[in-house]
Amino acid sequence: MSTMNAQLPGVFYRRPSPEQAPFIEEGGTVEPGQLVALIEVMKTFNEVKADRSGIISKFLLGDGDEVEAGQGIVEVDEA
Amino acid sequence: MAETTVRLPEARYEFGGDEFVFVELDREMSLQANFKAMAITGALRDRELEGVVDICPSNASYLIRLDPGKLHPTELVEELRRLEHSVGELDGNRVVSTRIVDVPVLFDDPWTKETLLRFRDNHQDPNVTDLEYAARINGFSTVEELIEAIGSAPFIVTMLGFVPGLPFCYQMVPRERQIEVPKYVRPRTDTPERAFGYGGAFAVVYPVRGAGGYQLFGIAPAPVFDGTQSLPDFHDRIAFPQPSDILRYRPIDRAEYDHVRSEVEAGTFHYRIREVEFSPTAFLENPDSVNRDLLEELYR
Amino acid sequence: MNEVLVRSGGLYTTVQDAGRDGHYAIGMPPSGAMDRYSFTIANLLTGNPGSTAALEATYLGPELEFTDSRTVAVTGANSSVTINGASAPMWTSLRVGPGDVLGFGPLKTGARPYVAISGGLDVPEYLNSRSTYKLTGIGGFGGRALAEGDRVPLGRAQDAPAEGTTVPEEFLPEFPDVVELRLVVGLCSYRLTENALNSFFDTTWKVTKDADRIGYRLRGGTIDFVERQQPFGAGSDPANVVDLGYPIGSVQIPGGNEPIILLNDAVTGGGYATVGTVVSADRDRIAQTGTGGYVRFNATDVDSAVQARQDRDAWLHKLRTVLSG
Repeated sequence: MSTMNAQLPGVFYRRPSPEQAPFIEEGGTVEPGQLVALIEVMKTFNEVKADRSGIISKFLLGDGDEVEAGQGIVEVDEA
Repeated sequence: MAETTVRLPEARYEFGGDEFVFVELDREMSLQANFKAMAITGALRDRELEGVVDICPSNASYLIRLDPGKLHPTELVEELRRLEHSVGELDGNRVVSTRIVDVPVLFDDPWTKETLLRFRDNHQDPNVTDLEYAARINGFSTVEELIEAIGSAPFIVTMLGFVPGLPFCYQMVPRERQIEVPKYVRPRTDTPERAFGYGGAFAVVYPVRGAGGYQLFGIAPAPVFDGTQSLPDFHDRIAFPQPSDILRYRPIDRAEYDHVRSEVEAGTFHYRIREVEFSPTAFLENPDSVNRDLLEELYR
Repeated sequence: MNEVLVRSGGLYTTVQDAGRDGHYAIGMPPSGAMDRYSFTIANLLTGNPGSTAALEATYLGPELEFTDSRTVAVTGANSSVTINGASAPMWTSLRVGPGDVLGFGPLKTGARPYVAISGGLDVPEYLNSRSTYKLTGIGGFGGRALAEGDRVPLGRAQDAPAEGTTVPEEFLPEFPDVVELRLVVGLCSYRLTENALNSFFDTTWKVTKDADRIGYRLRGGTIDFVERQQPFGAGSDPANVVDLGYPIGSVQIPGGNEPIILLNDAVTGGGYATVGTVVSADRDRIAQTGTGGYVRFNATDVDSAVQARQDRDAWLHKLRTVLSG
C-alpha cells in the first residue's frame, strides 16, 4: 500500500461539481494518468491524476477539505 | 450652493509602510477636497523631487509612492505639509488647464443587462434592474429621468485607479443633486469591458472585463484603456482619462453605438475634445452657468 | 535564435523582473518578483544584473529544456530540483547544455521558486519592464503564464560565477510555520475599535485558497468597525470609505472577517478602509507563504520599516561580494 500526496495546497474535491458523482469511489481501480480529484487554488481547479496503478483503498480527505502541499490524499493498493 | 460652505478638516498624514505616504484631506467626498488634492499633487509634480516614484491624486485624498532609499518618508511628509500650506487653500484666481470630452454611453444595453441579470443574487433588489433600483432610491419616477440627470451635467475625473485607466468621475452638481447608489452586496465576478457603472457618488467606465461591484447602467462604445495604443487618442499614453478631465456622458442610441464601435474597430475613432481653462472658484460659485459654458464649448 | 523550451508551465509561472514603476497613478500596479530577495540571488548566481527578468513559479515549478549552454540557478521555495531527472542543488550556479531538462518535484516549504538563466529572459519590454501583468495581458511572455510548447527568448549571457558556486547557509531564507509580518498601522485604522486592533495583532491568521499575486485573503478572526454615520460618497458598508489609493502591502478587511493583503499585481485603489501596511522587505516572506500557511502581524513604525529595507539590501550587497570573491 502506498499514499499519493498533494502537489498543491488548496481545497480538495472528489467530484467535478457538487451534484455529480465522484471521479472514483473507494475500491475502484486506477491507472497512471487517471483523474482522481481536483485541488482548487488561485481561482483554478487543478487536476490530481494517479501516478501509479492499483486499487483505491481509502481517501484521506473529504470533499471540500483544505489540503496542504505534500499532505497524503489517497491510499492505493498497488497491484 | 451647499458645496461652497464645505470646510475641509486638517489634512491627515499617514505612512503606508516605507514606500507610501497617504494624505486624507477629508473623509467625505466634495469637489473642494478633490480640487485641493489636485492642487497639492500638481505642485509636488512641479517640484520634481528625487525619490518620488508615483503621484496619485484620489477623490478626497492622495497617495505618493516613493523610493525610501532616496527619500525618507518623514522628509516627504514635511515637504507635503509645506505644500499644503502654500497651495492647498483654494486660491480664487487659480485656473486649471484641462479638457472637456464627449463620452457616448448606450444606457440599458443588452450586454450589461445580461451580466446584471446573471448576478441578481448579489444585488440589494433581485427583482428589478440596476437602473430601476437606482432611479427608485434616488427619487426619480422613471429610468429615463435618471439617465437624463446623468447626461445633464458633466463629471470631473477625481481619481484614476483600481485597474489601469479606470476613471472615478464625480458629477459637477451640488450635493443635493448628486446621484448616490450602494455597491453590490457581494461583488460580481464578471463585468463587460467598457461597462458604465455607478457606486457611491461615482461613475466609472470599466477599462477591462473583470470583477466589479458598481451598479451597471450601460456601456460605452469607445475604450478608456488601450494597451496596444492603436487608436489616435492613445498614441501618447495607454489610459485616456486624466485627473481633472471633465467628461460629459452623453446618452446615445443603438445605431450610434454600432457606428462608434465600427470606427473603434477600424482604428479611426477619436474622442471629441476641447481644451478649456477651468476655474474651481467660479465653478463653486455658479455651477450651472459654468457647466452650460463648458457644454457649449464642447459642442460648438 | 536563443531560447528555452517550456515542456510544462507548472501551476503558474510568469516572467518577472524588478517591476514596472511609475504608472501607479493611472491604476497600473508594478508587478515584478514577489520575493525580491530570492529573485535577486537567482540572478547573481547566473551572472545577471540583480534586476534581470527571471521566472517566478508558484507551488509547482515548470519543466524547461535548454537549447544552448547556460548557467541556471533555482532559489526561493524549498523544492526538489532535477536536471535530466537527477537531483540538483538549489541556491547554486548550475551549468546546462543543449537538450538538458530542468524539472521540479514536490515543494517542501515556501511557495515560490525562482529560476534565473544567464543572459536573462529576453521578452519585449513594455513600459520599461518585462514583468507580466496578467489582468490586462501585458508584459512578460504574451502577458500570461507559461504553457507547454512556449519558446522563451534568452539574452546574451555574461560571465557567470563558476559552476557549483553556492550561497552560504547564513544567507538562506527561513520558512517558519508561522510567518511574522511587520506592519505599520495607519491609513484608515481609525475605523477599527481598539479591541479590534488588538485582536488583529493577537490572531494567527490562516492563508486561504484565494492567495495569489493580486492579494492574500486570510481567515481566523473577526474585526469590529467603529460605528458611525457613513460620510457622503463612501457607501453604506461600515468597511467602506470614499474611494482612495491603496499602498502595496496594505491590509483591508471587507466584511470584517477576512483581511486581504494587497500585493504586486493588486488594484491600486478602491473603497475599503485600509488599516496598515506590511513593510516592503516582508513582502518577500508573504511571497513564500502559501495557501494553508499562517501569518501574524507585528506593529512597527516607519523608521523600522525603512531600516528593514536597508538591512535586506545591505545583506544582498554583502552576498554579491561573497559570490564575486
